[in-house]
Amino acid sequence: MATALEKTKCWIRSRKGQQVLICVGFTVIPLFLLFLFTYLPFGEMVKFSFYKMKYSTPVDRRTFVGLKNYFDVFHRKDCFGALTLSLYYCVGAIIQLVLALYLATVLSFKVKGGNLFKGLMFFPYLISGIAIGFIFKFFYTRGFVLDTILTTFGLSIEQLPYWLKDQSVNNWSLVATSVWRYFGQNMVLFIGAIMSVDSELYEAAQLDGANKFQQFWHIILPSIKTIVTLNVILSITGSLSAFEQPFVITGGANGTGTYFVVMNEIAHVSQKVGLASAMAVVLLLIIFGCTILQKLFFKYIFRDAESEDESYAAKKARIKAEKAKAKALRAEKKATTSVMQEGV
Amino acid sequence: MRMKKVLAVLLATSMLVAATGCGASETEGTGESGSTETKTSTADGGLVPYAEINLGEDFTDLEATITMFNHRTDMDSDDYGGVNWKQYLAEFNKVYPNITVEITTDTNYADDALTHLQSGDYETIMGIPAVDVADLSTYFLSYGDLDTMSEEINYADTWMYQKEVYGVPSTATTQGIVYNKKVFEDAGITDLPKTPDEFIDALKKIKENTDAIPLYTNYAAGWTMGAWDAYYAINATGDAQYANQKFLHTKDPFQDYGDDTHPYAVYKILYDAVAEGLTEDDYTTTDWEGSKGMLNNGEIGCMVLGSWSVPQMKAAGPNADDIGYMAFPITVDQRQFASAGADYSYGINVNAPEDEQQAALVFVKWLTEESGFAYNEDGLPVDASTDETKLSFEGVTFLKDEPAVEGEEDLLNELNAESELNINNGGNTKVQEIIEHASIGDMSFDDIMKEWNQAWSDAQDACGAEVIY
Repeated sequence: MATALEKTKCWIRSRKGQQVLICVGFTVIPLFLLFLFTYLPFGEMVKFSFYKMKYSTPVDRRTFVGLKNYFDVFHRKDCFGALTLSLYYCVGAIIQLVLALYLATVLSFKVKGGNLFKGLMFFPYLISGIAIGFIFKFFYTRGFVLDTILTTFGLSIEQLPYWLKDQSVNNWSLVATSVWRYFGQNMVLFIGAIMSVDSELYEAAQLDGANKFQQFWHIILPSIKTIVTLNVILSITGSLSAFEQPFVITGGANGTGTYFVVMNEIAHVSQKVGLASAMAVVLLLIIFGCTILQKLFFKYIFRDAESEDESYAAKKARIKAEKAKAKALRAEKKATTSVMQEGV
Repeated sequence: MRMKKVLAVLLATSMLVAATGCGASETEGTGESGSTETKTSTADGGLVPYAEINLGEDFTDLEATITMFNHRTDMDSDDYGGVNWKQYLAEFNKVYPNITVEITTDTNYADDALTHLQSGDYETIMGIPAVDVADLSTYFLSYGDLDTMSEEINYADTWMYQKEVYGVPSTATTQGIVYNKKVFEDAGITDLPKTPDEFIDALKKIKENTDAIPLYTNYAAGWTMGAWDAYYAINATGDAQYANQKFLHTKDPFQDYGDDTHPYAVYKILYDAVAEGLTEDDYTTTDWEGSKGMLNNGEIGCMVLGSWSVPQMKAAGPNADDIGYMAFPITVDQRQFASAGADYSYGINVNAPEDEQQAALVFVKWLTEESGFAYNEDGLPVDASTDETKLSFEGVTFLKDEPAVEGEEDLLNELNAESELNINNGGNTKVQEIIEHASIGDMSFDDIMKEWNQAWSDAQDACGAEVIY
């Protein structure tokens, strides 16, 4: 017994023992935390989505309703219909990415006061979402900041819409807020990626007579494709689950209730926890689907860059040439055999 | 190098503490309950119920630390116009020096209180949030049966289930309209409006004769819209049984009864006011905090809010004397009615150790009878032995909603959730939509009411509520 204990002690102190302990420790603890705070609650939520229950309903009084909640998600116009609002945010996401990519490219070359600009444009991302909500509520208020600025440019106040009241503009107002907040973050990620491009490539391209746009298109974009893909996926996912801006600025009222805001309302006001959970599960599936589609899409448009040495066209040409070669070889073989047969 | 190790250890331990910390505090102090000295000394040393506590005599040397969770964030501040929590506690500790009360307040109370309850680890005293009455006994201690408690406090039936009382109201409020007397005078309104038509006329006069916004909706804040739900029952029908009994079994309760009464008339006032441009220009950017000062300064004519708002409006500027409170402009058979009801009620944690429960009972009773809380907050009295109040409401009959009949305690909640109208239960969106439709003009008021009737009927079907009326 004592020797066994001694042995384990010894083993623990040994290099190998330490290695094993650290490996186990570093995997088990994070995995446990991940399970406890992510997968366990998620599993519970999936379970809730099959029940009719309120938060305060004790466990034994929850009623199982099967797939009824999922049926409701697709059936009710305020649930699934709210996803159409995500289109506004998707458009916003595209504008945001193009803007970020443009500014990142400009700023990654030598620009006077470049760091100051980077800082200024990244700053909105650091402000808390709630604060941004309040800032923009007053920004858009009739006769306040935005209206004042626009009237100094000669527009009269009668020509301007009510930014949050008019239902044909209010979603764009919210999307603009979202773009303002997040493009700086995208930009910084892009700048980071562009920095890692070998500067000799630019020199070589310059010698070959390539202009800035060609440099961007043929050198920068293929080099940072991973970051571009990542940013697009994050932005589209973000626009499907847009919440902060509508929730803080308009409270989801007046036709600005996105899927998340509606979900929150159903869960916390009407206390239909089951239905809200089902909505969450459906949104998760939609986001999965979108992500997979985007992956496939990027595989398609970046296929040139996918093969390291040759372009897609070159690859096609090579394969064609190989086939032709093989054909020719076979023909030759045939010819020789027939000749041989003839000879026989 | 050593620094890194220390950091790593610290990090690891803090994570462990964070992971295990949640469950640690529950078991403290359970052993001490036997040592409490009870002057009325019941033989088994059990809890002395609310009704039998003699304030200032019993339990003056009880030692306990209790916590309280409520929504009055403004009373945390030393700048609060009235008596703040600190002053109440100092007063309480003069009599009960050994009972420590720790008060936490929260601006998002209604939601967070439910989360606290659900976690199982909640404060000793809480303002009871929107739980189903059938679940009350799971969370809260009973103060006693209805008959006993009715002699002690008003509104004892607010949180009652099977004749047991689980909540003592902090204060009681009535429902009407808070207005600026000076604006009404300047507009030439001599008699306060008593019907919807008179009210709309008054608003028009304000618009013509003054610069003030006649009616400020406070659309953006959300809950200020849900406040309109407070008028559909007693104020609009004069029937104390309407809210919790008849309404549940009424066919199409939102129909036009043709005599400017019932829920239809309440919401129609809002629709008409917006449609006729008698509210603020851009409702989406209204500002609740700012609106208090605007009403005080005469930039707003009136707002539809409960009487609890009066002290806040008075405190928001120099013109406290201009703030008045009037009954909701609906007249039923030549009489005006106002509902009086409890604000948040104190519930006591049923899982707390016995000495803490006893201390909580003492504190709640002290708040109700000795502190003057209800009076200070411009409320109606909760303590049954007094009728002191600062509110004056002439010629208006006060009624309080009768509770649901037995077996239907949760039906209103069920119907509310099922129909998603959430009347008096956070249903802000539907009232906001009235304003949107009135402003855009894409839906007539009768169509909106038709939708509501449909939702209500569907919910009645789904919940098995019989249609009688």
